[in-house]
Formats: sequence, C-alpha cells, structure tokens
Amino acid sequence: MTDLADPGQQAPVAGADAAATANAEMDDHGDHGGHHSSLGLSNMKLAMWLFLGSECLLFGALISTYLLSTARFIAEVVAENPVVLNGLRAGGMPEELIQEFIHEASVEPMWDIPFTSASSFILLMSSLTMVLAHKAVSEGDYRNSRVWIAATALLGSVFIAGQVYEFTAFYREGLTYDGSLFGTAFFTLTGFHGVHVTGGIIMLMSLLVLSFRGKLRQDRAETVELVGLYWHFVDIVWVLIFTIVYLIP
Amino acid sequence: MSDTTMSEAAKSHAADHGHDDHDHHPTERQYWMIFVILAVLTAVEVAWSYLGLSGPALVLPLLAMMVVKFFLVAGAFMHLYFDLKILNGRLFTWAFAGAIVLAMAVYAIVLAAFEFQI
Repeated sequence: MTDLADPGQQAPVAGADAAATANAEMDDHGDHGGHHSSLGLSNMKLAMWLFLGSECLLFGALISTYLLSTARFIAEVVAENPVVLNGLRAGGMPEELIQEFIHEASVEPMWDIPFTSASSFILLMSSLTMVLAHKAVSEGDYRNSRVWIAATALLGSVFIAGQVYEFTAFYREGLTYDGSLFGTAFFTLTGFHGVHVTGGIIMLMSLLVLSFRGKLRQDRAETVELVGLYWHFVDIVWVLIFTIVYLIP
Repeated sequence: MSDTTMSEAAKSHAADHGHDDHDHHPTERQYWMIFVILAVLTAVEVAWSYLGLSGPALVLPLLAMMVVKFFLVAGAFMHLYFDLKILNGRLFTWAFAGAIVLAMAVYAIVLAAFEFQI
C-alpha cells in the first residue's frame, strides 16, 4: 500500500536530461551517506557496525563487571562479612531478606521472572516491528512504515516503564545503587541498557517526524535500517542480560 | 541517451550501490517466523529455569538458547547473514568472525583471571 509517490520512479526524461537526472540521483544518494565502500556495503552501515562494535566492548565490560561483582558479593554474604552485611542494612534491606541471602547464597528470590519475561517478550516484539518498518519504507509503503515505527517506539516505552517499575520495587525491597557491590553492578548494567533503549525511542520518534514531513522516502530506507541496527543491538544485549542476570542464578 | 538507457543506467547505479540489497532480505512471513521462534525459545528458557535444575544441567541449555537467539536476531533482523554474503571476498567475513571469537576469548580470559584472584 503506497500513499506517497516514490521520487525514484518519476516520469522518464530523455537525452542529456537523463544523464543529468542520473547524476542528480547519485548526488542525492550521496547526501544521505549511501555511497558504498569497496566492501560492498554503504559507508554509513559500516560506520554503524563500527559503533556497535564499540558498544559491544562497553556492554561486555559491564556484563563482566556484573558477573565478577555478583560472585564476590555472594561469596562475602555467604562468609557473612560484617562490612558487606552492614552495608546492606545501611541500604535499608530488611534483616529477613539478608538472612535469606545468607541461607540461599543467591539473589534469585528478588527477581520477578514472569514480569521480566513479559518485558523480554515486548522487546523481542519491538525488533519484529522494527524490521517490518524498514521493509515497509524500502517498499514505499509509507503509511504502514509509520504504524510500525510508532509501534516499535510504543513497545520500547512499555519496556522502559516496566524497568522503572522493577527498579522501584527493588529499591523498596532494599536493593539500592550504593548499598552493595551487587546493587551497583546490577543498576549500572541494566540502567545503561535502559538509557540505550530510551535513546532508541528518541531516534524512532525522529524517524516518525521525518516520515510525517515527507522526508522519509524509499531512497532513505537505509536511515531506517541504521536505526534498526541500533535497536536490534539493544535487543540482543537484553537477550544476554535476561539469561545471564535473571535466569542463571 | 534514450529512456530505456536512462532506466538501465539508474538500475546499474542502484545495483552498484546496493539498492537491490533488500531483495536478499527475508520476506515478511520469514520475519514473523523468526519472531515466533524467538518467542518460543524465550518461553522454553523461562520454563527451563523453573525445572529446579542446577549446575551445568541448568546453565548450559540456557546459554545455548541464548546464543541461538543472539544469532537469529543478528543474522536475520540485523541482516548480518545477508550483508556478509554480499561483502567482497571471504577475507572480511573471516576477519569479522575472527574478531568476535577473539573478543569473546579476551573477555573469558579476563573473567577467569579475576575469578581465580577471588
């Protein structure tokens, strides 16, 4: 379903005008960074992959820090290190929960797995709507592309709302950012991810504005693909966090 | 230059610049199928965590499902599988895969080093 004409399919022109049009197309193509490298992919896409590579290092470091901090935290709780336990008490964690930590040697009881599973499902679904948005733009289906972009932003917002709710619940249970090594590592990792999702939502809203202004045409489908790459990366990071932090005790 | 020539020139330009890359991407139906697989894997992961298992019996299947989900999203949704196929030559593909393996090895070594220090 196409509600706007594709600028790349305008009425043909002849002779010198044709060459000029072809050159103009190339220039226009260059304006949005679509020129391809010798590797066969556009420079913009390669640049995005490089950026995502640096993001891999960031989240790799955060996940590693979380794993190390959790291992150390649990070891110290099990050993009933008074400094660590007093830190938890100072953070407002109830004594029965601290005793549960010591007894279970695990922080698993604090997780609400069904709730987090629903959040994971929502983020996975947003990846689907994102690829459908890109497909719709690349096929010139602008009306549906807006629907899918808006749906992706909405699903991302629901995920963020869930994370805020989860953080609030943990805070009320006594898990604070500065109360323990575990709390610091957990909130830093998941908080950074949440900030990335929020950044993605802002990008999606920008795409929506561009689309409504008629500036997100078929020849700019790569812009949607680049935002999609970022969005899927954020989804992949959550796939890792969900398994490593929530499911594996 | 005739209309036909112009059209072919534009097509040639598009092909040179990868406008037809999208032809190699999955169809809408395939995207939905991949999403269903991801959703089912997530459900199985959650169910597995409730089985009361511990040790490798719990961790290894969860990690395996996580890796499958990782590559499904990266390969299909991020078009990595299709983009790697159109990259010129195999050197870049091997370099890409090698970099991922190297990065994971470095993280594993660092984690192991800290673990032993504890």
